[in-house]
Amino acid sequence: MSDLLEQLVHGLTLGSLYAMVATGLALMFGVVRLINFAHGEFYMLGGYAFWYAYAELGLPYPVAGLAAVAAMALFGLAYERGVIRTILARTWHVQLIATLATSITLTNLAIIVFGTQPKEVPTRLSAAILDVGGVRMAWQRLLVLVAAVVIFAGLEWFVAHAKLGKAMRAMSQNREACAVVGVDVQQVALATFGISAGLAAAAAALVSPLFNIFPDVGALLTLKAFAAVIVGGFGYVRGAIAAAFLIGIAESLAAGYVSYAYKDAIAFVVMVAVLLVRPQGLFGRRIGI
Amino acid sequence: MRAARWVLGSALLVAFPWIVAAGLPGQQRYILHVLIFTALYGALALSYDLVVGHVGSLSLAHPAFFGLGAYAAALLATEAGWPFVAALPAGVAAAAVVALAVGVPMFRLTEHSFAMGTLGFAIVTQIVATNWVDFTHGPLCVTGIPKPQVGGLRIATLPAFYWLGLATLALVALLYRGLTTFRLGRAFHAVRDNETLAAAASIDPLKYRMLAFVIGGAVAGGVGALYASYVGVLCPGELTVSLSVNLLVMIFLGGVGSLRGVVVGAAAFTALPEVLRMAPTWRMVIYGLLLLIIVIRAPDGLEGLLRRGAALGRRRPSSSGA
Repeated sequence: MSDLLEQLVHGLTLGSLYAMVATGLALMFGVVRLINFAHGEFYMLGGYAFWYAYAELGLPYPVAGLAAVAAMALFGLAYERGVIRTILARTWHVQLIATLATSITLTNLAIIVFGTQPKEVPTRLSAAILDVGGVRMAWQRLLVLVAAVVIFAGLEWFVAHAKLGKAMRAMSQNREACAVVGVDVQQVALATFGISAGLAAAAAALVSPLFNIFPDVGALLTLKAFAAVIVGGFGYVRGAIAAAFLIGIAESLAAGYVSYAYKDAIAFVVMVAVLLVRPQGLFGRRIGI
Repeated sequence: MRAARWVLGSALLVAFPWIVAAGLPGQQRYILHVLIFTALYGALALSYDLVVGHVGSLSLAHPAFFGLGAYAAALLATEAGWPFVAALPAGVAAAAVVALAVGVPMFRLTEHSFAMGTLGFAIVTQIVATNWVDFTHGPLCVTGIPKPQVGGLRIATLPAFYWLGLATLALVALLYRGLTTFRLGRAFHAVRDNETLAAAASIDPLKYRMLAFVIGGAVAGGVGALYASYVGVLCPGELTVSLSVNLLVMIFLGGVGSLRGVVVGAAAFTALPEVLRMAPTWRMVIYGLLLLIIVIRAPDGLEGLLRRGAALGRRRPSSSGA
């Protein structure tokens, strides 16, 4: 029993990670109708930024985490200006290949700069064990869950009430009408990339103490986050978050009870199974954040 | 004139091993090795372009079909002792059957989702190849894959492999030509350019997409089987996603949807690392940046440049004559 609960806690940790990455993908898709294949690399770079601030510069954990988020938000803005803006008007073929090319470039640059050896960033929380009635877990996992809840609640408020959040929602419904009524669509797109990249970095700063950081973590992560986006109903953020937790839990149960080696195939199997039964996704509805 | 040029060109290609032997005796092995890879990559890129360039489905599953054909043929040859003439068709059939089975759910997805779904399939295939150690030997690789034997002819030397590669490329090019011209080719392009309109003209998009996907997969399986028998060792690393990126660079560098463009792209791509001579990671960085620049700045690739050059060349004499 406690074994099952431990697997569930692991699944929730994974789910938080996938949900933070999937949210970024869904936001970007909602606002500019583009799938960023390089999104897993944002997480990877966020992880290295955190490692640099925490392990190399010796900053305290919360400061290092926030520094990584800020650095990646800037990177997201630069990516929007440098790559995304040049391909927004092009076909989805071009967009997909351009972001895929970015992903390959970033992964291999990371191999050159940081090496293939994983970077370990243990924190005091990841070493300390919390024991709740026989269920043992690292305190870091609790932090991940609490932080995820705070982040998603904040995001929910932001999209519902903040001016920028409302503009993002409006753009996901009708870009032309936004431009007509005077929403600066380019600025909103720019901000969306900053927020999405920052979310990926936040995920990295939260889970890296548990999972380590390595250069080719991105491809599989993009795939799983995208599976969550599809399963949740394309571009629907709450659906993507729910689906991400579903995939995380399925993966960790499969790793514990079926086969550890094949756990990475689970997200894909869940995605295909859902799409065969419900092509519009589990929570599918018309597009909109 | 055109026919004469073709005959001369083909004769030159066939006679190439002797030309190299006479001209650059010390370099023969190396040059032939690069050319064999060029021919195999050319055939693989053509099979990929059938799917991407002609029916417009951005599949990332091609490494999986290449790997399936390679593993099927290699394991049948090493474990069951099948001769090459039986193992090669088995590799093709394995890839085709799996392409058919995977295509049915995948083509329910559109655009990005299709790309991501096929990418997922490719990653799962690699995971299986790495972890199913009892069957595929996993990271220990399949070793000692025998050289092809066709009738009494054993293809073991580099020139023999070169001719085999050249014949494969020619065969695949003919198949590509046949599938993409005529009525079938027009149906492919109708599906690619406007799916709704094609369906309205009773051209079933799914049928033609599946056809291109399965044939492309089958050819990739055949090339995989040949590749395994040439290299002699087959590891799960051959099936990585970066093979899709390589193929995308080739067809976009050369020119999507064009026979000449794709072959030129494959040749340029295979020659590039020999010229650059750098570490594999730097190579992938350069390929990534190259692909990014090409799709943004020159989506027609080299073929577009060639066509524009030819158009310029034609215009000049006609204007002076008028």
